[in-house]
Amino acid sequence: MKKRKKIFLIASILLLIGFVGFHGRKIATDHVQYMTAGEPHTLNCFSCHAYIVRNGPIAKMVKEQYLSPMNMAVSSDGSILYVTAQEGNKLLAVNTTNHQIEYSINVGERPHTVVLSKNGKTAYVSNQWSYNIFIIDLDKRQVTDTLITGTGPAGMAISENNDYLYVANTYSSDISIFDLNSKQEIRRLSAGKDPCGVTISPDGNSVFVSNRLSNKVPFRSTPKSEITIFGTKYQRVTHRDIFPSATIQENTAITPSGDLAIVPQVRPKNLIPTAQVEQGWMMNHGIGIIDLKNDHKKIQLLTDEPNAFYADPYDIVISPDGKKAFISHSGADVITVLDIDAIRNIITTSTDEQLEMYSNHLGISSQFVIARIHTGANPKGLVLSLDGKILYVAERLDDKIAIIDTKTLKKLESIDLGGPGMTVSRFGQQLFHSSGHTFQGQYSCLTCHPDSHQDGLTWDMGPDSGRDLANTQTLLEIDQTSPFKWNGKNVSVFMQDGMRFSKFLTRTEVFNQKELDALVSYILTELDLPPNPYRDPSGKLTNAQQRGKIIYERTETNCGRVIPVMDRCVTCHPAPLYTDRRQDDVGTRKAADDDEVFDTPSLNNTFDSPPYLHDGSAFSLEEIWTKFNDHDEHGYANDMTKDQLNDLVEYLKSLGSSELYTDTEHKTTEASSH
Amino acid sequence: MKNMKNLLPNISAKLTVSLFLIGGMIFGLSWIMKSSTDKNVEESNKANTAVNVETESVKTDGEDKSKEAYVMPVYDNWETFTTKDGLPSDKAFCVRVDGDRVWVGTKAGLALYENNTWRTFTEEDGLVHHGVLGIDISPVTGDVWVATLGGLSKYSAGKFDNYTQFNSGMLNDVIYQVTCVGKDVWMATGGGAGKLDTYTGEWEIFNEQNAPMHEPWTYGVTAGDGKVYIAAWGGGVIEYNSSTKSYRDYVDPDGQMELDVFPDDGVVHDITSGVSFADHILWVATYFGLSRYDGLHWNGYFDHDSGLISNFINFVHANGPAAWMCTDKGMSSFDGKRWITYTKNENSAGGEVIITEGDKVIKEKVATSISHNFVLGVDFQDDVIWVATSKGVSRGVARKTNSSTKPQL
Repeated sequence: MKKRKKIFLIASILLLIGFVGFHGRKIATDHVQYMTAGEPHTLNCFSCHAYIVRNGPIAKMVKEQYLSPMNMAVSSDGSILYVTAQEGNKLLAVNTTNHQIEYSINVGERPHTVVLSKNGKTAYVSNQWSYNIFIIDLDKRQVTDTLITGTGPAGMAISENNDYLYVANTYSSDISIFDLNSKQEIRRLSAGKDPCGVTISPDGNSVFVSNRLSNKVPFRSTPKSEITIFGTKYQRVTHRDIFPSATIQENTAITPSGDLAIVPQVRPKNLIPTAQVEQGWMMNHGIGIIDLKNDHKKIQLLTDEPNAFYADPYDIVISPDGKKAFISHSGADVITVLDIDAIRNIITTSTDEQLEMYSNHLGISSQFVIARIHTGANPKGLVLSLDGKILYVAERLDDKIAIIDTKTLKKLESIDLGGPGMTVSRFGQQLFHSSGHTFQGQYSCLTCHPDSHQDGLTWDMGPDSGRDLANTQTLLEIDQTSPFKWNGKNVSVFMQDGMRFSKFLTRTEVFNQKELDALVSYILTELDLPPNPYRDPSGKLTNAQQRGKIIYERTETNCGRVIPVMDRCVTCHPAPLYTDRRQDDVGTRKAADDDEVFDTPSLNNTFDSPPYLHDGSAFSLEEIWTKFNDHDEHGYANDMTKDQLNDLVEYLKSLGSSELYTDTEHKTTEASSH
Repeated sequence: MKNMKNLLPNISAKLTVSLFLIGGMIFGLSWIMKSSTDKNVEESNKANTAVNVETESVKTDGEDKSKEAYVMPVYDNWETFTTKDGLPSDKAFCVRVDGDRVWVGTKAGLALYENNTWRTFTEEDGLVHHGVLGIDISPVTGDVWVATLGGLSKYSAGKFDNYTQFNSGMLNDVIYQVTCVGKDVWMATGGGAGKLDTYTGEWEIFNEQNAPMHEPWTYGVTAGDGKVYIAAWGGGVIEYNSSTKSYRDYVDPDGQMELDVFPDDGVVHDITSGVSFADHILWVATYFGLSRYDGLHWNGYFDHDSGLISNFINFVHANGPAAWMCTDKGMSSFDGKRWITYTKNENSAGGEVIITEGDKVIKEKVATSISHNFVLGVDFQDDVIWVATSKGVSRGVARKTNSSTKPQL
């Protein structure tokens, strides 16, 4: 009996395990499919319950703090390479002989650029998210002063006589000029949109500022990006050289003879349907050239090839002899080497009509591209050694510095800065910045989402050309704001970046599960909104913002009529995410739209994401209600005075990261949206 | 000793009385002298402010010539520009000097005079509207700010950035004047005054809802000594203190707007058409006369009791201690003591220069003159004057004169 009981017990347990296991697996599978809504996803609890957790102990376990070297400067004796560690919030001093980090200095948030005084004793570091510049005494190895800039300071340059510091403020789209003797900002010049790099001409008379995004242009017309040039004598803008059909101009270099200014640029084709990707019909990459000795004539040449594209050009340096230019293509992990004399030859021997044709000719690069040098992941800042023999390349997502011999054009080695090992989200970050998953490497995620934000362009990406135009949306802090896409049809980022992504955008094989998990992990957990400059850190609102908040939350019109609940701002845009995650008809549908309803976008840091509405047809926040909204379908606004609208806009501009708001009543999770 | 004691009360009483008498005499003398001084000051404020002007420091070519008097020049050798010379329209609303360049706002576009050539900007070039009413140059950035009938444009190195009431926080698209004050840009519009902080992009608007304005229509704006002055139609002058963010207004105390019942008691009229501030003096143009305010005292000037050619003043521009009034009957200038008026003959190119000082009036016929008597704007380029009129733009040159002598006729 005993034996029979034992057998019965064991069999029962086995049956129970089998039963539970089978059904449990089914339950788990259904759960995963429900949550990801993408292609069948392998059962891996970590995908959602570890890798996409933004905060808390689990997040701490799966994340690491990387350095992410961004830009560099060489000391006056060539012995030290100073490196801004963008995610490590440090300035690293690397010995160029033994390749060791001699010391590091803690700086502000997201350090972008480092420049050195002429005597080499002082370093200036732009802290892009602290909105200031640290002045560092290199002998004492400590921060001695702080300069307050506009918002998002990035590229910098020091005047020849060391008297002035020129700073590009990316987020406020202006240029600060500091008197380094008094440490005061003496002037702020307006730039194009999102200025980034600053370069002084060899004769010291002019400063060139490259702007990353297009100036404001009429709806659905060719983007136009600017190189802002000002004179150092009177510090007035002298030229605004415009390149058509160009964006993402991060840096400029000028030949030693001063005849040419060269700026790498992305050439988006956002006005035509993204139906064809082959032969560069969606994105090209090249250089813009300003012929400074010929009345600032503008020429554009592509650095791509007919079947190979080199995405996301970032930095450019020119050899001291003026013969070669080096461009870092951060999406292709390649340094392109250009023959400048060959470029000059093209310019001088071609008619204007030929140059116009060459600007979109994929074969022209064969006439001036000397070499392509492969690097580690996401090459960004470049700097030449003092003798020009070595090119240092910040391999940002490898936490390394590549060393390239400029004579042999070969990579010699990489200096390991000692970053931690690979994590899932770091792998996802590399995928995000790599064009390796798009057809012929034509673009990466970053190409349309610089700084993981948005490119300010409207794209024709629908299955039917000319319809369903889409304004590029930000990817910053989109966790908990599902669904995605303007029509709200992608319920998760797994779905957004799954099969549909490869079908409509990348035109290659889909990401495998491991890659998809990594990409989603990066997007949902690592992309933070920069600090909102319109929001006092204490949370206190200005008078205008307070008045605006009252209007935002109002329940009655100026005449005392009750506003229907669904027509109140706060209904569809409640704190802390300022989206109800629903799709609604707010009267913004155009004739070219098939969808009747649109997903409510989050308003956090909305000040920094023009244009607005699903098709980008509103250039400013005001236009959402002055140009559109004739029938109060997008909130009751037509009874407002101009004062009230201005106050509302001031309040909207103050909305920042959802972590700033403690209103837990409106907190939602990814799961509860379904 | 006993005698001394007896004497003391007498001495004390006499001493007390004496002290009283002496004190009374001193007080009386002081009062008399003060009254006399006040009267002198009052009289000098009325007609002899040149006393203050003459003792103010005047820097020329970097040298402090504090002992040298300011001499308001007479302009002559007029040259006129019209559409025949390249102006987009003869109707010129405003003129603004920018170093070697001269900007003119006309009915048909923004004109630039540079290297002896006129160039026009219109909507085709990116200007927000072709009706240009006001221009200012930012002293910090060199950007050109253009006030038009359809919005505000900022011009810099070939690029226009436009602000309208639809795409920005600007109050009203009809902008009469724009003034750059450091990093701020102030504008007087048909719906109130506005301020743009060019660093933060924040707009502030001032109208009858939040400022002591009777009506929101504003025609002019100027700034100085930490304050901004707004010429408010029907509302006199609104003074805004930039530090304290507080207002006060200056309205005609008479209340009887068609009469100046009590002279020099405040701004002469509430229908103000312009303001200009320089050398710590605020000048206020109205359609019914001119006012001058030094921070303490107001003075009013009319065509019937001064050298002002007409009470209907379109525009006022302060240049150092003097002010230039653009009226419907010519242009007058005043330095506190002397008036110089320019009028044009109806049927010839010539005109008349009228110098008024106290009761003395000297008239001179001149061979060249301003292009028309309906004058709308004025600005200065070293010793050259530019005048915008409804029939073209005129340029005059200051007559050469010794600094220690009065202008010669």
